[in-house]
Amino acid sequence: MTTVLERADAPTADVGFMTPPAYVRRWAANHPDLVAMREKDFGIWQEITWSDYWEKVLDAAHGLLALGVYEGDRVSIHSEDRPEWVILDMATVAVRAITVGLYPTNPPAEVEYLLSDSGAVVHLVEDQEQADKVMSVIGSLPDLGKIIHIEPRGFRKWRDDDRFIAWDDFLELGRGHRQANPGMVEQIMAQATGDDVITLVYTSGTTGPPKGAMLTNANFAFNAEVLIANEDRTPDRKPLGPEDMILTYLPLCHVAERIFSTWSSVSRGPCLNFAESIETVQQNLREIQPTIFFAVPRIWERIHASIAIKGRDATWFKRVWFGTGMKMARYIGDRRVANDGDHTAASRIVYAIGYPIVFRPLKERIGLRRVRYATSGAAPIAPEVLRDFLGMGIPLFELYGMTENSAVATTNYPGANKVGTVGMPYQGTELRIDEDTGEIQTRHPGTFKGYWNKPDKTAEAFTEDGWLKTGDVGVWVDGTHVKIVDRIKDIIITSGGKNVSPSEIENSLKVSPYVKEAMVIGDGRKYLTALIAIESEVVGDWATRRQIPYTTYRDLTTKTPVIELIQGVVDEVNQKTSHLENIRKFRLIPKELDHEDGELTATQKLKRSSMSSMFGELIEDMYRS
Amino acid sequence: MRGRPLLYTTYEADQALLNTTTKKVMLGLLLVVLATIPFQVVPGLDFLGSDDWLRLLSTTAIFVVGALGLNLLTGLAGQVSLGHAFFMGVGAYTAVWLGGPEDGPLLGLGLPIWIWLPAAGIVAALIGVAVGPTAVRVRGLYLAIVTLGLVFIGDYVFRNWDSLSGGAQVGRDFPPLQFRLWKEEEPLIDFTTPGTWFGVEVSGLAKSFFLLIAIAALFTLLAKNLQRTRVGRAFMSIRDRDIAAEIMGVDEFGYKLLAFGISSFFAGISGALLASFVVRVIPERWDLFLSVQFIAIILIGGAGTVTGAILGSAFVVLLPRLVGDFTQWLQSVALGDGFGSAIANVFVATTPNDFGLVNTFAGIGPGLSVAQLNLVIYGLLIIGFLIFEPLGLYGIWLRIRNYWKGWPFTY
Repeated sequence: MTTVLERADAPTADVGFMTPPAYVRRWAANHPDLVAMREKDFGIWQEITWSDYWEKVLDAAHGLLALGVYEGDRVSIHSEDRPEWVILDMATVAVRAITVGLYPTNPPAEVEYLLSDSGAVVHLVEDQEQADKVMSVIGSLPDLGKIIHIEPRGFRKWRDDDRFIAWDDFLELGRGHRQANPGMVEQIMAQATGDDVITLVYTSGTTGPPKGAMLTNANFAFNAEVLIANEDRTPDRKPLGPEDMILTYLPLCHVAERIFSTWSSVSRGPCLNFAESIETVQQNLREIQPTIFFAVPRIWERIHASIAIKGRDATWFKRVWFGTGMKMARYIGDRRVANDGDHTAASRIVYAIGYPIVFRPLKERIGLRRVRYATSGAAPIAPEVLRDFLGMGIPLFELYGMTENSAVATTNYPGANKVGTVGMPYQGTELRIDEDTGEIQTRHPGTFKGYWNKPDKTAEAFTEDGWLKTGDVGVWVDGTHVKIVDRIKDIIITSGGKNVSPSEIENSLKVSPYVKEAMVIGDGRKYLTALIAIESEVVGDWATRRQIPYTTYRDLTTKTPVIELIQGVVDEVNQKTSHLENIRKFRLIPKELDHEDGELTATQKLKRSSMSSMFGELIEDMYRS
Repeated sequence: MRGRPLLYTTYEADQALLNTTTKKVMLGLLLVVLATIPFQVVPGLDFLGSDDWLRLLSTTAIFVVGALGLNLLTGLAGQVSLGHAFFMGVGAYTAVWLGGPEDGPLLGLGLPIWIWLPAAGIVAALIGVAVGPTAVRVRGLYLAIVTLGLVFIGDYVFRNWDSLSGGAQVGRDFPPLQFRLWKEEEPLIDFTTPGTWFGVEVSGLAKSFFLLIAIAALFTLLAKNLQRTRVGRAFMSIRDRDIAAEIMGVDEFGYKLLAFGISSFFAGISGALLASFVVRVIPERWDLFLSVQFIAIILIGGAGTVTGAILGSAFVVLLPRLVGDFTQWLQSVALGDGFGSAIANVFVATTPNDFGLVNTFAGIGPGLSVAQLNLVIYGLLIIGFLIFEPLGLYGIWLRIRNYWKGWPFTY
């Protein structure tokens, strides 16, 4: 006779609202041995199955209960992407509390603001660096009860501080609580509703302090249905599934990475592979060869530049082949851009010839050979970059969304991929462009619940008739696709009265591998100018090859040949734009832009106002006659 | 993981010898080719099945075992040894003492191969361990000279111990490759006479070819595995910097002894097989030239790599044959007419007293003999490889492979 032993809280049938952790439970019940996550540790990719995942989520959820976290409490996470991030996120939602993610680059002052604004009661730090940040502002965080730390190194100085608890001890605490109260977490999960806030996503705040957008279970469910499960998006018309591989490398506190990694994974089952760090992304890409890949324009530009540089550095025979391949890619890309993203007969033949000699090995090298669906979003991307990737045979689509509408606004579809636009509204959503201001506005169930503790800001985000104001100016293209002009507040009106969208020019500049960041200036001025930050590695390498000696980044930016090099880039862009949109003068920024110094947001976007004040002298210099 | 060659989820996969499909297919192909060589069925490769080529390939297999041994010591552990020939000689004479005829005039106990072959390795290993401690005292050039001394001691002993070696310039017959359970008259498996295996006619040479290839494969696997274990890594750390290795906790003394022991074991087996395969060997066979040949093998093949030891063995064993064939061809060209003959005439002697860089008429007239030319070529190759391609033939292969691996980039 056999007895089937069942644990009281073994994965059971779905009860209650399908929250993200409820999906984890479903995968653990139906496919316990499928690999849910991989993390590279000690040189190999260690695997975590769905049942391990669910067990850890339960332990962590009980651990939170043991620490006294109740429904609606905030749990903050300050860490690079790693399984613990996702596990604690799921555990938090499981006990109906709210996850707050912080960027690993957030400096102490922002940590203080984010933790006090959200009123977090439990805080997870990855290592001593993040612990130091929170401890330096701990005095102004009265709500904060416990700090969980993952890495043990460097915590000896706090070993008597009972505010700290190590991750393993935290899970152990949870296991104890779980034995004493079996099934308690599942009971709480069963009470979850669509209206429960599951996370606060702090918007990057190019102006003013960040605001915590509240996203709910219903927002998640809507996103999972309209965006994640949308099989029309992929060229092979196959929805995401467990055989898909995703590389997780962008900060999980950003709504885009949350959707493309965690939410996609729990709702459809793709395996999450955590990159070791942002520096190793290219290496990890080669190893993982993801099938689904999301990147922000900065990453696409970096891959684009690295292809160009490595191609240029190759030995002459390879260089000839590579050059031919890139010509083919541009040819194919142009045909595809002109043909709504699809191949023409001619481009298909060229691709078939180029595939074995260049495209296949090239895609293998950059780790995108198996990608069946790639997207770019979160910031505008230059059409040239999209074209080149399309030409190499990477099915890359630009899409558009923002935190406040759960990233659901528009997307390009295969067969209707208009490069230069952000695509068409999703089915079942409403999108309009305001006739007076040209602002894009959306309305659908994915719209956020409001800003945390900021009812006035929430009210400002909506029109009187209940549409979400995106703050972006757009125009219709062919009546179906939306083209973003710029952020409303970024649009430049020159003293001559010409309306200029700076981001378009900036992106054209950033196509050059030498340009890392560019800011076009000219609001209320006679002509346009630009502040340009060079890509230090590439320009440094360029200078070394030409035997131009330099010492520091600052020194490099003052070298005449470097300035001439960038002048060449600017001239090239100027040729493509109308006379009034020409950059008349530019200056190289004498320092590397940095989040901690306040020039960039956590998502590496330019903070225009602080840039203007920090480099005011440079700007004025360009307008002196 | 399948389709993702760089994605390792276990250390076993990461460390696997055949970690890619290509490697598996190539190894499979190699095995098929080796298995069919004596039957001359593969078109284009059928010449390899002829008796003289089978003999060369079998000799290569024997040299592979010896080269792997020296590679462990010199390539991996960094201990230059010129004494390899001595250890091979020790192996050979151990074999003949144990396996030689009981009733003959010379020393011999008439024991079967399963005793004399391992014993040849073990006795050589024991002597290797006994010599090892000197390596802890001296290193580099001095070690080379100490081991050089071994060759001369061995040479003296082998030439003068007539009852064991048969005497200088005389030599004796070595026990044949025959498998007996004990001292019975009829061998259980005879690798030297023609017979039928699984219904297929196999010549004696083909049989010994299969046996030697199998032994070489076994030792290759052994060497490869040793290289990727703790012991192999300890050897490499001693090679790269012995003091640093010791500070990291590597027992220098112990590992150097071990390196000498294992290396000598390989040499002993190789020596016993070589003598047995050649049948009659004179004591002068185990001289400095044999040691230099092995040094050449690992330097030309690629020091510190198993593949290099195999490539180098094939190169060094097959080179004389190729040089001989080439000289013959040159000679035939020189004897013909036209422009080619004029050029060839410079390089090769057409009559005993004709001038030529190479003279095939042994012992008469100016010019080098084919054997001397071989020596010159070894010398030039060793110098060339040391200067231009320290990783040897394997390094060239690696370069070609990386060139295509990196396509369309260089790094």
